[in-house]
Order: sequence, then C-alpha cells, then structure tokens
Amino acid sequence: MKEKLLLRLEVEDFLYREASLLDEWNLKEWLTLFAPETRYEIAPTGDPEASELDAAEALFLVADDRERLEQRVIRLQKASAHAEYPHSRVRHIYSNIRVLSTDGDEIEATANFVTFRTKRSFTATYMGSQRYRLVRNGDSFLIRLKRNVLDLDSLVPQGKVSLIL
Amino acid sequence: MAAVIQPRDSTYRSRFLWLDRERGRFLVHRSAYTDPEIFEEEKRRILRKSWIVLGHDCEVPEKGDFIVRSVIDRELIFNRDVNGRVNAFFNTCRHRGASICREPRGNRKRFVCGYHGWAYRSSGELFDQHATFGYGERFNEGGFYNLLQVPRLAQRAGFWFVCFDKDAPPLDEYLAGAGEMLDSIADHSAAGMQVVRGCHEYEIKGNYKLICENSYDGYHLDLTHMSYVDYMKTMVKGLTAIDIRGRALSLGNGHACFELRIPTGRPVAQWLPVWGEEARLEIEAKKRELERRLGAEKAERLANVNRNMVIFPNSIINDQQTILMRTVTPTAHNRMIIRAWSFGPADETPVLRRIRNECVLSFLGPGGFATPDDVEMLELCQRGFETGDVEWNDISKGFHAGENTLRDENPHYDNELQMRAYWYRWDQIMSAPEQPR
Repeated sequence: MKEKLLLRLEVEDFLYREASLLDEWNLKEWLTLFAPETRYEIAPTGDPEASELDAAEALFLVADDRERLEQRVIRLQKASAHAEYPHSRVRHIYSNIRVLSTDGDEIEATANFVTFRTKRSFTATYMGSQRYRLVRNGDSFLIRLKRNVLDLDSLVPQGKVSLIL
Repeated sequence: MAAVIQPRDSTYRSRFLWLDRERGRFLVHRSAYTDPEIFEEEKRRILRKSWIVLGHDCEVPEKGDFIVRSVIDRELIFNRDVNGRVNAFFNTCRHRGASICREPRGNRKRFVCGYHGWAYRSSGELFDQHATFGYGERFNEGGFYNLLQVPRLAQRAGFWFVCFDKDAPPLDEYLAGAGEMLDSIADHSAAGMQVVRGCHEYEIKGNYKLICENSYDGYHLDLTHMSYVDYMKTMVKGLTAIDIRGRALSLGNGHACFELRIPTGRPVAQWLPVWGEEARLEIEAKKRELERRLGAEKAERLANVNRNMVIFPNSIINDQQTILMRTVTPTAHNRMIIRAWSFGPADETPVLRRIRNECVLSFLGPGGFATPDDVEMLELCQRGFETGDVEWNDISKGFHAGENTLRDENPHYDNELQMRAYWYRWDQIMSAPEQPR
C-alpha cells in the first residue's frame, strides 16, 4: 500500500512538473520529458469511443511521433506560427491522477484535465482525460504516450488546438 | 436562375463591388462580411436557394444508416432507408416539433419521437402515433404527417447535395464545370470511396465567406504557412525550395478552384521518400492501376495534381493528400462552424491509409501545422473589418481588362481569379431586383 501511494506521488510530481512547463511555454524542456519512441495524441471530438481509436485508422486532431512532436515544438517557438504568436496564456489543471498498472519499468496512469487558453480577451476551455504510459528514468520518468481525450462534441467555440494539451 | 452576366463596363459599381479596370482594381465592400442585415438577406437570396453539399454516399453504406447533419440553419437526417433510397429529412416531429434523432449517427429502421411516441419508418412514413383512439382512418392521407423531406436532394459522383428552393435548377446544371471535378474524385478508385472515421469540427469567429476565400487562396501559402513550409522542407530531405506550379480555374456559376503540382506526396499516387520502401511499392502499384483504368494522361494528372475547389456559395471539396470535404455553416454574420472530414479509396491498404491520415494531420485540421494559422488570420480579418473605418477589401491580384471569370483560367494559381469568380456571382444575385416574396 505504502509503495503504491509513493508511486502515485512520484507520478503526480512528474505530471505537475510537466503541466508547469507547459504553462510557462518552456516547450524545449517539456520535450526532454519524452522518450525517444513516443506518441503525443489528441483523439477526435464527438466520438463516444474516442479513447479506443487508433490514429492509423481514424482522423485525430493530433497524432505525433517523436519527430513530429519535435517539429511541433520548433514551430510553436516561431513568430510565423501565427495562432500562437504572441503566445496565449495557458493554465493546465491536472486532477484525479491514478496509477492504473505497472508492467516492468512501464507505468500506466490517467488524469483528468482542464486547460484554459486566453488570447485577445477570449478564454477557451479544454477538458477531458489523459492517459500516460511512463517509463522509469533514474529518479524520474519519460513519457512513451500521452493521449488526450476531450469531453467535447466539437471545437465550438474553441476553434483550434494550437496550444499543447 | 438567370445566366451569369459579367459586368463589362470599364468601371462598375454596385452596393458590394467596385471594379476599376483602368487602375486594375477589384474591390469588395466590407459590409458583405460585417452587416447582420446583409447576412439575413444573403441567407434568403443565396444560401437558401443554392445547392449545398450534405455528404457522400459512402457515409450511409447500409440500409438504415443515418447521420444527423446541419446545413445552414437547418438540422437534417441524412439516411439510407430500408428500400436503399437516400433521404434528407428535417429532424423535427410532425406532431409537436421535437427533434426525432438524438444520436448523431447510427442505424435505425424507424425513428420514434421521445415526446408522444410518433413513429416513422426510415422512408419517413408515419406508421404509429402510440395512441389507441383519437385519430381517424384518413389522418395521414397523402402522407401529410410523414417526415418532411428537403425540397431538393440530388447526387453527383456520390456527393449528395440539398437545396431548400424547389425551383432551383437541376444539380448538374448548377454545378457546371465543378461537376467534372467531382467525377474525377470518383476516379480515385474503382472500388468506390470510404469515409475515414473522425471529424474536425470547429468554430471560426469570422464571416463564412472568409474560409471560402481562404480555401483556394494560393497567394497566402508561403507567408501564412511559412512554418508549415519549413516543416515540409525538414521532412522531405533534400528539398530546399518547394517548387509549386499551378493554375486557377473558374468553373462557372461562381464555382472555382486552383490546381497545384506540389511535391508533398499523395496516397493516390505520389510517393515521398520519407514514407519508406513499402509505401513506394504500394503507391507505384496504385499508379499502375490508375494507368490501366484511366489511361496514362488522366492517371498522371490524378496522381500529381492537388485541387482546392469551392462550390458556390459554401461547399468546399479538396482533392489533396486526401479527399477532404469541408462544410461551412454560417451561424451569424461573424461566426461560422467548419466541419471537415476525409475520404479515401474503399480498397486502400492499411499502409496508405495511415499515410493519408498522417498527411491530413500534419497540415490540415485544427491541431495541424497550418489550419490554426488560417483560423487566426481569418479572425484577425474579421476584427480588422469591425475595428477599422476602411470600406473596401481588395481582390485585384491578376485582374486585367480582358479577364473573363465566367469560364476562364489563369496561369498563376496565386492570383485571385477564383475569388473574383465567386464575388461576381454573389454580387449578381445580391444586386438583382428582388422578387416579391
């Protein structure tokens, strides 16, 4: 029991750090939290089975491998990424963090999230659940999968997901 | 519908257009994007009288399949009934009005209203009122209480269109040259098309005509999407500059497109080294299949030409890395909802389907590397319209005295012929004397 509790606290610490890097738009350091083989995904909105879908077969909002995730980070630091220039203000709130299973050095965890994005006096709210596959890396973790499933029928009125969830 | 007549005078001025051929100016009045009253007039005179795309035949493949979908401000049930016929019903009970379908999609042989239990067959016929007394034998005589069909429903090459005006011209006549472009999409596969699961639906805080203009605007590509072009250069090793060749085509009745030859790859059928050897073999096989079926010339065009098309006034059908359908629902003079979804050949291999989805994600869609910047730019346009005292928008690039936008082409995809074709048509309808309602 104590071990499980400690693991959850470790995972919480790690995820809160991740959220804080996103809130600071410190994407370069955020990228260092990801494993060499990794996926960052946002499943389609409005699909009741969104959490079960495979990006090879369905139209996701985001389905990045390591290479495209790096390119996403590079892009979001440019003034020519107009939707995020100047950067919006973002606030990531993670909650209900649970460790679902451990398999060797791999840990599966879930969290609920609410993320606010404010630009030009308009605040968009993104909420849903996240699934992580984490792998041990010294006294911390690396992310092998971060999959966001939005509790939204559509991106009305959000308009886009130009930020990182 | 009257024949489209292009103003010939060297200067032409209406409420919305100002053409000055000597100075090479083509101007559109910004009230066309900002005035709520003009938006209402536009709904009445243009949107409710035009053919608008509803979906593709392959989205309702089985008898009983249905999808609830909005067109302008109407919610429709798009279904294939048990007899195999495709319908588009207004999603409202004939009794007291409640929406009948509460699920966004599914398969049903009958639709039952949750309020009093009126029940309709998939063909729309009312067959039960959930009442043992109170209604006479002749109550539904002549199908008076059957689900109401839209006034007009027709398809071209599997693309179903609706029109709320019973007096509209036939679809084929309305589509003019755009019809042949839809035919060429159907050529992608002898096995027919298949819809890819998942849909991008998002709001843009701008007038709906902004996304129509943006969809076939070649001029904005290298600047608005500079960061995407940078990405492509990184992904396509050895590519230092993207060589884009293309042309703009006016297709009649306000429809237009641009065609690009751009080396960014297509599952049908242009290979990119970054996709690997397995994909190369499959794409080459696909190319040979196209050649056998359509001949070398047609196959070459199908494999290498990307096309962005706007069917006047708000149907967008692109033939790019995927077949992308975009419907545009204006919800106010300065608000719209975009719904975009993707199609591929029904017999596509898993490798090519994965590539198709990857391509769409990297460029298109509200989480991609390009569309968010379009959304941003269009919202900045609307904001600029509403916060400045400037009256006229400029759409002059490539405008010259002899231009005939009715059925013309321009050797430069990044001129603005496409938009002028749209605005001529729009102005012609809006400036005509209105018939009494």
